[in-house]
Amino acid sequence: MTDNQDHNQLSRSMAELDEGSVDRMIGRLLLDGVAPLEIIHDLTAGMEDVSRLYQEEEYALGELIYAGVIFKNAMNRIRPCLKNENAESRGIVVMGTVKGDIHDLGKNIVIMLLECHGFGVIDLGVDVPRERFVNAIQQSGAKLLGMSALLTTALPEMQEVIRALDHAGLRDQVRIMIGGATASGKFGKEIGADFYGRDAVEGVNIAKHLYHVEGVS
Amino acid sequence: MTSSERLDAVISGTVPDRVPLAPLLDHWAAIHSGISVYDLMTDPDKRIRAILKTASDFKWDMTFLADTANETLLRIGVAARLKMPGVDLPANCAHQFEETGFMQVSDYALLETQGVVPFFLAIVGRIYPEMTMERALADLARVTEEIKEHGRLLRQSGIEPAVGFVIPGCSFEYFSLARGISEGLLDLRRHPETMRKAGKRYCADMLAMAISAIVQNGIQRVFVGLSRSSPVFVSTKHFETIILPEIEYIVNGFVNAGITPVLHCDTDWTKFLPYFQKFPAGKCILELDGFTDIKAAKEILGKRMAIMGDVPSTLTANGTKDEVLDYCRNLIKTVGVGGGFILSTGCSIPVNAKEENILALTEAVEEWGWYQ
Repeated sequence: MTDNQDHNQLSRSMAELDEGSVDRMIGRLLLDGVAPLEIIHDLTAGMEDVSRLYQEEEYALGELIYAGVIFKNAMNRIRPCLKNENAESRGIVVMGTVKGDIHDLGKNIVIMLLECHGFGVIDLGVDVPRERFVNAIQQSGAKLLGMSALLTTALPEMQEVIRALDHAGLRDQVRIMIGGATASGKFGKEIGADFYGRDAVEGVNIAKHLYHVEGVS
Repeated sequence: MTSSERLDAVISGTVPDRVPLAPLLDHWAAIHSGISVYDLMTDPDKRIRAILKTASDFKWDMTFLADTANETLLRIGVAARLKMPGVDLPANCAHQFEETGFMQVSDYALLETQGVVPFFLAIVGRIYPEMTMERALADLARVTEEIKEHGRLLRQSGIEPAVGFVIPGCSFEYFSLARGISEGLLDLRRHPETMRKAGKRYCADMLAMAISAIVQNGIQRVFVGLSRSSPVFVSTKHFETIILPEIEYIVNGFVNAGITPVLHCDTDWTKFLPYFQKFPAGKCILELDGFTDIKAAKEILGKRMAIMGDVPSTLTANGTKDEVLDYCRNLIKTVGVGGGFILSTGCSIPVNAKEENILALTEAVEEWGWYQ
């Protein structure tokens, strides 16, 4: 039998990045017949705490990445038990580093966190030409596009992507968030982006806000 | 004061006649002097001519030898595959790196037991299978001579060469590139002891190599690269237990050898600045890139080390000249109070920086930088 304490313990172990405890707890909960979706819910709650601790500067990127690894391993264990249950995606997000830039650290951390929070992500990779952004939005119907760049020389390409979406008649159906060390809220406004994410957690909060997910901080 | 005297005064904590000016120069030297970035990165004669022209045109006190755009140094010293402008990338942009993780966990033991030379050769051989070991070592020897000669040419023109060697500030800076940032960060949790032992050997060997090179080229300052060991990437616990002891070892090693560490801190280091109070007073330069709170750095460390920075790359690339002048004036009036300040760009000048914005730095020190 399981009770609330077990669920809380799993969330806490996830938040404290106790990989061994998360692994043991999942084994026990599955053995006790707890619905896999409930376990995923507990893990996601733990990830919320990880995000909060990151924003409070208790955790750094290293902890975010480690949390992602623990979560992914946990999901690999839970997934075969899902049977007919459907862990519905909270929404689709298209992500990519714009043409002229091959930096992908920030983008990859946003993707990892988005996936941990239940979003489906189409990762276009790095050095992405504007046409691929347009095609991905066209084909996926995603409501959110995330663009990243580190180099100052690549920043103008973000505006070109927005123009290309406009030209393709897609601008009204997609919201655009930008991020990267040299980007800023001011720059985002200048080029017509809808959101600027200062860090990966803000990126996830933007996605939650847009897809009306509860618990947006 | 000469440029050299001005810099010595700032480092030792006495007040110079004016704020020294020393932007971090690499690819932009090519843009300013009308050569290709590819030529700057690969041709040492064109490189030094471009550096001399740029530093002279803008009346800088000190300049970097474009070490961070030296193809040979980048291929041998950085554990990721170099993508060259004009070859792998469009012409006249900055180089970039493909970070794919060329180092295995077992390589930590190779480093610990055999030292950095066999370790580097193993990693470089994987990144560039086409490069022979003989070629790598010969290139390194050639660059060592070039740096000595380029430093002499700069001094002949009354400009101080900034650094005689470039070294990561701790082994994690290298490992996190060689393993890939995610694996490197996970290693801090999964293999801390292995990393600590390998890191100890890495620091000892690199320190000896750097001191030996600097003794030869006579440029008594060293670029100590600190980026991925910042609070943005690592927790306080990992910083205190694994990273800080190595930075202390390296800083003290250089200071004891009479060499000034230029602590080149990229990203936001504000949270970890109090740890730098441990470093010897009047012996270091703290170089910031616009992400660390430079005014907090002045408050916390202003009495212990010179502070250098930090006109952001976004400002020199996209701002107006008036905005750059305002930013510089503010730096001089706050961080420059009582000396201990070198006006510079935040990290290197971006390739798309505007000429008038770089000129604004020169005009700012002329207008507001004099102490007498």
